[in-house]
Amino acid sequence: MRSVDVARTALGNTFRSKLRTALTVVAIVIGSFTLTLTSGLGAGVNKYVDTVVAGFGGSSQMFVMSTGASDAEPTDGPAEYDPEAAASTGGMFGPGSGGGVLTDSDIEEIEQIENVSSVDPMVFVSPDFIETPDGERYDMELDVPANALGLELAAGEAPGEDGMELSIPEDWLTIFDTEDAEQVIGETVEIGISNVTGEQSTVEAEIVGVSEEALSGIGATPMPSRELNQQLNELSMEGYEGQAQNAYTMAVVDVENIEASEQGVKDALIDQDLLGLTVEDQIGAVQGVIDAVSWVLSGFGLIALLAASFGIVNTLLMSVQERTREIGLMKALGMSSGKVFGLFSMEAVVIGILGSVIGVVLGLGAGLVGNAWLTGEGGPLGAVAGLTLFAVDPLAIAGITALIVFIAFLAGTLPAARAAKKDPIEALRYE
Amino acid sequence: MSTPVLETENLVKVYGKGATRFDALKGLTFEIHEGESVAIVGKSGSGKSTLMHLLALLDEPTSGVVALGGEPVTALKPKKVSQLRNDTFGFVFQQFFLNPNQTVLENITLPLKIAGMGKSERNRRGMEVLEQLDMADKAKNKATNLSGGQKQRACIARALVNKPTVLFADEPTGNLDTVTSEIVEDILFGLHRDHGITLVVVTHDEDLAAKCQRRLMMQDGEIVTEEHGATGVHA
Ligand SMILES: Nc1ncnc2c1ncn2[C@@H]1O[C@H](COP(=O)(O)OP(=O)(O)OP(=O)(O)O)[C@@H](O)[C@H]1O
Ligand SMILES: [Mg+2]
Repeated sequence: MRSVDVARTALGNTFRSKLRTALTVVAIVIGSFTLTLTSGLGAGVNKYVDTVVAGFGGSSQMFVMSTGASDAEPTDGPAEYDPEAAASTGGMFGPGSGGGVLTDSDIEEIEQIENVSSVDPMVFVSPDFIETPDGERYDMELDVPANALGLELAAGEAPGEDGMELSIPEDWLTIFDTEDAEQVIGETVEIGISNVTGEQSTVEAEIVGVSEEALSGIGATPMPSRELNQQLNELSMEGYEGQAQNAYTMAVVDVENIEASEQGVKDALIDQDLLGLTVEDQIGAVQGVIDAVSWVLSGFGLIALLAASFGIVNTLLMSVQERTREIGLMKALGMSSGKVFGLFSMEAVVIGILGSVIGVVLGLGAGLVGNAWLTGEGGPLGAVAGLTLFAVDPLAIAGITALIVFIAFLAGTLPAARAAKKDPIEALRYE
Repeated sequence: MSTPVLETENLVKVYGKGATRFDALKGLTFEIHEGESVAIVGKSGSGKSTLMHLLALLDEPTSGVVALGGEPVTALKPKKVSQLRNDTFGFVFQQFFLNPNQTVLENITLPLKIAGMGKSERNRRGMEVLEQLDMADKAKNKATNLSGGQKQRACIARALVNKPTVLFADEPTGNLDTVTSEIVEDILFGLHRDHGITLVVVTHDEDLAAKCQRRLMMQDGEIVTEEHGATGVHA
């Protein structure tokens, strides 16, 4: 028998008992639908993460924090007094993080680490308010300028190095009574900040950009230029008696050849009780959660497929039983056992192809529609700039289809072997 | 005399074992020559179908030898035996075994499909045979919609489509009325006469048996008598 005839006959046989085939296919559809959806989810989020990481300029940067208090490892009994550490946990800096901070000596140590080309210490400043030209005041928290690289802009540009500039998030447009992001570019605002003695002073800054919120959280708060951040920091330190101990929330470290030297630098930092995170590491946390979710869902998909494979076994066993005579006749007319096996495996494969194609199409449809609805304008996740929750990965889809067809084939081997083993004489005597 | 196309030596077939042991064939030795027409006659249960299945290589003997063209078949691989059946033999079974979902043409070209012939060539050969049997107008009908006689003719068409050298027919007229039986008999002997096909017919129909050149009378798994000469062939 020719392969085309085997395929054609198998296809015809599959549609002979339509309801039974349909029910078997439904089970496979559920599995392939789930797998398509989860793999698309993984692909979509990874694609998004890639664009975010690319937004940081492929990033040779590492963000370094002190592990001192932020990781809050349980200690045995009270810690010994350390004047430097005490000074650095003043809690003056950083928006309520209470984390450890970096001191000048930390910065020097970081500079000594191999492959570190530059270190840029950062401070969080905590202004009291922002005042619009109308004189209205709003509460505000500022991001650190180092994050400017990851800013997704709806209008204007990111705040630069020099100049008293800042960007505001999109949903802050309401304070200017406008919906058009372009309109607020160039507006001047006043930012008020208190110093250590409680005295308030203000600085002026120009709005140069409007940001969208990225999944990493960057862009959800106003972001100052380096100059503005520096000025605000100096204002807040005014009136400090004695030698001010410089303290930084974190440092942005440029690493040479980051791919290769990343781990070495991280290890060196850990020796100094410091923690270095790349952009990938930070976004990776989000990615990790989504990966875990998609793996769990994929697990369900695989369980559905496992159940479906028993459906195939059952359907084909019934079919083999019903067609005992037909099998006997084919064998009597000279069909080899191998071809009979091939014919019935092919029927399983046809069921598998049918189920996987329908499931993949439904999965893609649901994924694309769901993505458009969730991340589209006005959707629940519409505010997150550039977010894709679902992407079509042709390789993954081909993989899923191949996997399902393979599972179907495996499920078909038992009934097919049963059919191949039939003795033509017994089959022909069978009433 | 021509070479025996089929020969058997001390052919034994035993079904079951112990208390249920049944000796269906008890050591048969005979030859069937090329172009011969042979009837295997006997009462129901005498072992006619069993013998035919062994001759047609559908079953294996418990002991003894079946040789095809002088070559014992026990030595052959199953795949080779399948292939031999496919291109040397034609079968008309005791029941029709037509696939009700397929057309007559699809049904009768099954042996060619199994042989791996392309579809257009299959259909051409199929139509040729159907025409020969006066069934061409039924080619596209579903097999279920045929009368008993037409079904039997379809079965004969299926047996002939691969141009076999030996045609086995098990009770080819068993299910038919006398008129239709006549037609089927005429077809079979016509083929035998005009195409030189070796005919092996299992029957308990005296009339049909009488038309064969040789009759093997079976009783309880043994050939009790052997008659020569077609006694009832119409001129
Ligand atoms: N698979 C089997 N197991 C046990 N006994 C069997 C089997 N097949 C056939 N027999 C027995 O072998 C004997 C011969 O059977 P066979 O079918 O050859 O008879 P037959 O001569 O063709 O009869 P009929 O004219 O009714 O078709 C019968 O008694 C039958 O019961
Ligand atoms: Mg019989």
